[in-house]
Amino acid sequence: MFRSGRLDGGRDWLARHALSLTALATAGVLGVMLYLPVGVVFVDAVVDDGVPTLAAFHDVLTDPFYVGVLADVFADPLAIGSHLGALVGWLGTFSVSLSIASPIPGVGLPVPWPTIDTPGVRMGLFGFTAYQAALSTIASVALGLPAAYVLANYEFRGRRTLRSLTILPFVLPGIMVAVGFYAMFGRTGTLNTLLGLGGIGPIPIIEWNPLAIVIVAHAFYNAPLVARVTVAAWESVDVRTVETARSLGASERRAFLDVVVPQLRPAVLTGALLTFIFTFMTFPIVLALGGLQLATVEVWIYDRVQRLAYTEAATLAVLETILSLALTYAYLRYESAQSGLARAASPPDREPLFPTVRSALSPRRLAIVGYGLVALVVFVGPMASLVIGSVTDGSGFTLRHFGFLLERQFEGESFQTKPLPAIRNSLLFGLGTLAIAVPMGVVISVLTARAGRTGTIVDTLAMVPLAVSGIVFGIGLLQGLVFGIPLPGGWRLQVTGAVAIVAAHAVAAYPFVTRNVSPLLASLDPAMVESARALGASRYRALLDVELPLVASGIVAGAAFAFAISIGEFSSTVILASGTDSYTMPVAVERYLGRRSGPAIAMGTVLLVVTAASFVVVDRVGGRFER
Amino acid sequence: MRRRAFIGSVGGGAIAGVAGCLTRDGEDEERPANDTEDGDPEPDDPDLEGTVTVATYESMVDGENPAGPWLKEQFEAEYPDAELKWTLPNSGINQYIRREEQEADLDADVYFGINVDDLARIDDNLSDGGLFRELNLDRIDRSDRIRDGLDVGDPHGRVLTYDTGYISLVYDESVVDEPGSFDDLTDPEYADALIAQNAQTSDPGQAFLLWTIDAYGADGYLDYWRDLVDNGVRIIDDWSESYYGAYMQEERPMVVSYSTDQVFAADEGYDMSRHQIAFLNDQGYANPETMGIFERASEVDLGYAFLDFVLSNDAQAEIAQRNVQFPAVADEFVDLDESFDQYAHEPPEAVTVGYDQLRGNLDGWVDDWAREFASQ
Repeated sequence: MFRSGRLDGGRDWLARHALSLTALATAGVLGVMLYLPVGVVFVDAVVDDGVPTLAAFHDVLTDPFYVGVLADVFADPLAIGSHLGALVGWLGTFSVSLSIASPIPGVGLPVPWPTIDTPGVRMGLFGFTAYQAALSTIASVALGLPAAYVLANYEFRGRRTLRSLTILPFVLPGIMVAVGFYAMFGRTGTLNTLLGLGGIGPIPIIEWNPLAIVIVAHAFYNAPLVARVTVAAWESVDVRTVETARSLGASERRAFLDVVVPQLRPAVLTGALLTFIFTFMTFPIVLALGGLQLATVEVWIYDRVQRLAYTEAATLAVLETILSLALTYAYLRYESAQSGLARAASPPDREPLFPTVRSALSPRRLAIVGYGLVALVVFVGPMASLVIGSVTDGSGFTLRHFGFLLERQFEGESFQTKPLPAIRNSLLFGLGTLAIAVPMGVVISVLTARAGRTGTIVDTLAMVPLAVSGIVFGIGLLQGLVFGIPLPGGWRLQVTGAVAIVAAHAVAAYPFVTRNVSPLLASLDPAMVESARALGASRYRALLDVELPLVASGIVAGAAFAFAISIGEFSSTVILASGTDSYTMPVAVERYLGRRSGPAIAMGTVLLVVTAASFVVVDRVGGRFER
Repeated sequence: MRRRAFIGSVGGGAIAGVAGCLTRDGEDEERPANDTEDGDPEPDDPDLEGTVTVATYESMVDGENPAGPWLKEQFEAEYPDAELKWTLPNSGINQYIRREEQEADLDADVYFGINVDDLARIDDNLSDGGLFRELNLDRIDRSDRIRDGLDVGDPHGRVLTYDTGYISLVYDESVVDEPGSFDDLTDPEYADALIAQNAQTSDPGQAFLLWTIDAYGADGYLDYWRDLVDNGVRIIDDWSESYYGAYMQEERPMVVSYSTDQVFAADEGYDMSRHQIAFLNDQGYANPETMGIFERASEVDLGYAFLDFVLSNDAQAEIAQRNVQFPAVADEFVDLDESFDQYAHEPPEAVTVGYDQLRGNLDGWVDDWAREFASQ
């Protein structure tokens, strides 16, 4: 980063001011790559022909289509009596009845089935979006925690590789997930083929409940996130605290609940919060698997942008962001109240997964095997079906889709998208993102760790990249940086190409570093830093020698996410890469997707393989820093 | 993969990152007066030297066997002093509407792939007849080869059609009988059978919606769609997901798609029984693709040369076959392969909703439709 000064004095000065300088650089990157583009779009929501106005918000908040039953409340907030009356009238229409039904699809087994007859409440677009995000969050946590438990507590062959591969779902482009899910769960998909071998089916899984399949797809994306964040926390649990509790007579279960769980809770909730925000902003998957009935706010933002109705698009996006940030703030208030006195990580020893044949039949081991089967179906299935799809066509096995990639690589024109540059760019941008996002994320964590309520507000604002609609961010980049910002004298400042892409990726990625590092930093015993300072260490020295080694697992986990975000990022990359040779693998997937799907699926398979290989490397390298 | 080899191959490529660049507005850019009502004059000595920049959509240059590289090569062979440069705006025509509004550089001379609704949107957002220049057809000798019925009805004469596709139904004859009309689709026989696309996000989805508006009128189309929804239609985001995801995994036996479907099916070796074409009411919805020259183009003469070249015999054949669309010119001006004729089906009657009806109505039609079915 910095050229070291020729004199020791210069180096001292740098060391003393390293934190401030990094903070300044962070602020600069955020200003140009985040606040400027987003501001360019958001200003449309509140300024109409140069006059500030809240009319657009009023229109959205009083429209039942957007906010459902709350429209009346927003329209006339003071008519409390009539609102309460409506609520009471609604509560009076509940009823529960018992009927005979066949709840399991494809199996005509009649069982008594309670039907709770609730009157329909109009949720509106925002209500439904929050509802499906909440369900998706529950599913992601439910599928992610067992994986974290197994990866953190058991030793088995291939554990580290498996841990590395948990990131894969996270980087798949939306279209690939959709095609993978149809290929896995469709009527003639892999799962029905397997069930058919057992004489069951075919079951119309996707048709049977579109919302359920959308939620499973969201869990496919986000359960790995929950798992990785939790594993990082689990591996930095101080096992001596557990031993102390046990020696004082606590049962194993008691010690787990009272000692381990409180140390994991911030991480689990972080994973849940990130999942909720992501699935609140979900866009292609919902409509690709579920259909228009399951449309979310983001679908409408996209539509408004397409129709150039920027005011309404910006208004919806601002409301989305406010909701996400409010939730983030509430969570961070909770997190900052969890200051611990952790001194050092000494993680629990892992026990062998299957030490003996007999132990394999213990209830706990059987549950793990059961979870493994579920994980195979939900996570491995869609990806494996994609890979199978890349080597088949109408007449069976074929290598022509990969042949297309080779042909394009060696015979493609200069203006066409080629596979190797896409792979190279993806990896280079990933490394560049690491180099920028990790210092950015760490510096924000350090600045906010002990700053009380102000820190919480800064920390909340630092989450803006996650809370802003990707579509709006993309449009802002286009208008702010690609078209150029008019400067006095007829000049324009334009920012595109590789450097801009890396900066945009870093902006999208650093919140993951912050969210992984902050909880650990906050739970450190402040006395340790104070002792170091009292012994004459500079703030920077104390950070480097005392704090960072203690939160290394969080930094490594955050760094892995930063790399993954960069590999998988699509919406801003495609805008900044247009007209340059800076396209990445997801952009290539999208460009190869025409009236034939083969080339795109082959490219998606290449993306999977390259990501898997690079993550095994990233995690191995990161592992050296963790201990 | 050995790590050394891996790092070697990654590190081998040079990377050029343009962090920021300053440009000066108004350089090398003619800004003609906006009120050229009488079209462009015909120069005695057109300037056919330089680089003509053509904006288009991605599958024209990427994807499998695209037409773009062929067009570039042949155009440059025909005009030795000229170079053709493709550019791919990632939000299509919208990007140029925004650039025009902000008076930013367009960086393009020709747009290849304008739809009728794009013209309506340009005029709703800019000024009537904005963005593209009125074409002087005397400068495009081959413009009279274009078939009747492919004129999109632009009152400002800004575009020429270069190919057209037809939206139709694709169905699996081993599961359902051929549906003959729109009304058939609401029969119990076709319950839970149809996949359509979201008109907000997908071109064929919007075309199918406009087709129902053509059939039932702006007052009746929502009633028809309610019947369709009652009969279990599924509205999926995008053509790719609906076709390669849902339809090809046999989720349902009917999908809204293109009448050239069998060309791909034959190419991929699929069983033809799942790739039958149904023309509802004996119609297909025509989606003509058109081209125009930007008002602020710097290479106007080369732009005209390109438009004329695209309508030549060879170019029409190549575009049709590589793009898998139908040529815009009459049969005597284009020679197509026999296999194309065998698998690409044209509807008995082509319908389309023209510029005049779309103008000012389209957004409302789509929005009313989407709100009806996305309301929770």
